[in-house]
Amino acid sequence: MKHTILKALSNPLALSGFIIIAAILLLAMFAPIISPYDPDAIDVKAILLPPSSEHLMGTDGLGRDVFSRMLYGARISLLVGIVAVGIATAIGVVLGAVSGYYRGWVDVFIMRMVDVMLSIPTFFLILAVIAFLTPSIWNIMIVIGLTSWMGVTRLVRAEFLSLRNREFVMASETLGARDARLIFSHLLPNSLTPVIVTSVLGVASAVLIESGLSFLGLGVQAPQASWGNILTDGKEYIQFAWWLSLFPGLAILITVLGYNLLGEGLRDVFDPRSSKKL
Amino acid sequence: MLKYVLKRLFWMVPLLIGISLISFLIMHLAPGDITTTEAGFNPKASEESRQKLREMYNLDKPLLVQYGLWLERMSTLDFGHSFASHQRPVFWQKTDDKGNVTPGLIQEALPITLLINVLSLGLIIIVALPLGIIAALTQNRLPDRSITLFVFIGFAIPGFWLALLLMYWTGVVNDWLPISGLHSLGFENMSWWGQLLDSIKHLLLPVFISALSGLAGIALFVRNGMLEVLHQDFVTTARAKGLPEGKVIFRHALRNALLPLITLLGLAIPGLIGGSVIAESIFAIPGMGKLFYDAVLMRDFPVIMGILTIGSALTLLGNLLADLAYAWADPRVRRGVMQ
Repeated sequence: MKHTILKALSNPLALSGFIIIAAILLLAMFAPIISPYDPDAIDVKAILLPPSSEHLMGTDGLGRDVFSRMLYGARISLLVGIVAVGIATAIGVVLGAVSGYYRGWVDVFIMRMVDVMLSIPTFFLILAVIAFLTPSIWNIMIVIGLTSWMGVTRLVRAEFLSLRNREFVMASETLGARDARLIFSHLLPNSLTPVIVTSVLGVASAVLIESGLSFLGLGVQAPQASWGNILTDGKEYIQFAWWLSLFPGLAILITVLGYNLLGEGLRDVFDPRSSKKL
Repeated sequence: MLKYVLKRLFWMVPLLIGISLISFLIMHLAPGDITTTEAGFNPKASEESRQKLREMYNLDKPLLVQYGLWLERMSTLDFGHSFASHQRPVFWQKTDDKGNVTPGLIQEALPITLLINVLSLGLIIIVALPLGIIAALTQNRLPDRSITLFVFIGFAIPGFWLALLLMYWTGVVNDWLPISGLHSLGFENMSWWGQLLDSIKHLLLPVFISALSGLAGIALFVRNGMLEVLHQDFVTTARAKGLPEGKVIFRHALRNALLPLITLLGLAIPGLIGGSVIAESIFAIPGMGKLFYDAVLMRDFPVIMGILTIGSALTLLGNLLADLAYAWADPRVRRGVMQ
């Protein structure tokens, strides 16, 4: 395990991704200490001020400090991304394992369900659900999680199907190992690495979806700050206040880039066949 | 072959039923319907007409009964009318007794979204293919490194943010392009040349924005596919028998590297249709995304169901076309399909 982590961090892609994510994580964790102002404090004397030494990223239409709001927004992005993907991965692993292990009609049923979910334009589906629930950060996480488990399901199923015919699994089965032992000590640990890669890449797209929803006004609601809803303000004031649009977008870009780099780097480490390519 | 197509088409029916069932249940998760939401409440509509609406769509009946009735109507391809005050048909135009034609909502919105998607698909292929090939041929050298960097940024950049910045730069600061809509004022009075130019100006940014992430993905895909193929025996053979390098790359390697791209393009369809929501709402383009967004806010059930059903049907058809194209392009697959 220690060996794997060291190997992963010696990959330049994975390392740069890891550093980016770790930096954002630290900024988000220590947001209350770092942020110079209360992110929700309205100051009518400081409306739409450009970036300066006093307000590093300027102020918004209500005179709130954009830098402080960005720091608190980082918390939302990280939380939504990780929890949503956690939900999707949990569903995907369970369904994929059941499908790949038991096969038969259970497998057929689950795979048809995957087909159905994959055929509905995903963003439409998310939009339809979100609009009918009260928009809140918890609902967003659950909805993104419930609409993005299909990839993991297919992946785990494929791994299980191929692992089941491998000699060490058959040997264990012949020796009388029960289902639970086969699944939890042989099949699952051996299918974990591609799941990790997919999950890390999944966080990147969850962050993008959250910011898009918040931008449309269906995500994190004001006054709670999120990068997406700071951008909504940015759109309103685009003629007078470029800083309201520039910084949150950059933050999303860097975060998503970080997860993508980490994911692709890990893929190289875990799957040496593909690592020759990059 | 025909048997295969028919079988696939037949399988689409249960899939579509599953899709519509899920959509239907999701829509009714939250309490309330058009008559209780403020946005859909039309003060001009009398209690009687609202009751008529409720009866027409059977909103008072149990969910499963409602779904059964919806299915029954769908079997004659009747998507119903919008709940909004204009009560336009959801899908296709209808002619009333006096001969007035009311155009359908999807009928008007779908061609716009399809046009943008087809144009951006074209842009993706025109730009991503050369990029991927160049990257593969210059593996690990400067062109490859820069293209890979572009790919990573293209993946990570939020489209709506880039749209906002480009709108600001080309429309507000420089006044090069119109910032929103599909046509300028007075579009009807322009010459065909003026109309074409006007449309191009309006479509430039939306097409570029919706192409961006796909562009990055396809470029990376072509690069990796080319690298894989270039190391295979038949390419070595082609080189060994003295074929010129251009012929080796374009005749032998590229053709094989492009095969999986067909499937990928088929799988990209739901993303393209779904991704239109944000781009269309930023650029104020009256396509499927905008229509869906408005319908969702109003709880306009027939329109939501109509768009989800048609969007899914298009996805399934796209996948089928991709599989057929794959079989057409690759004799090995064709033989597999026949059996």
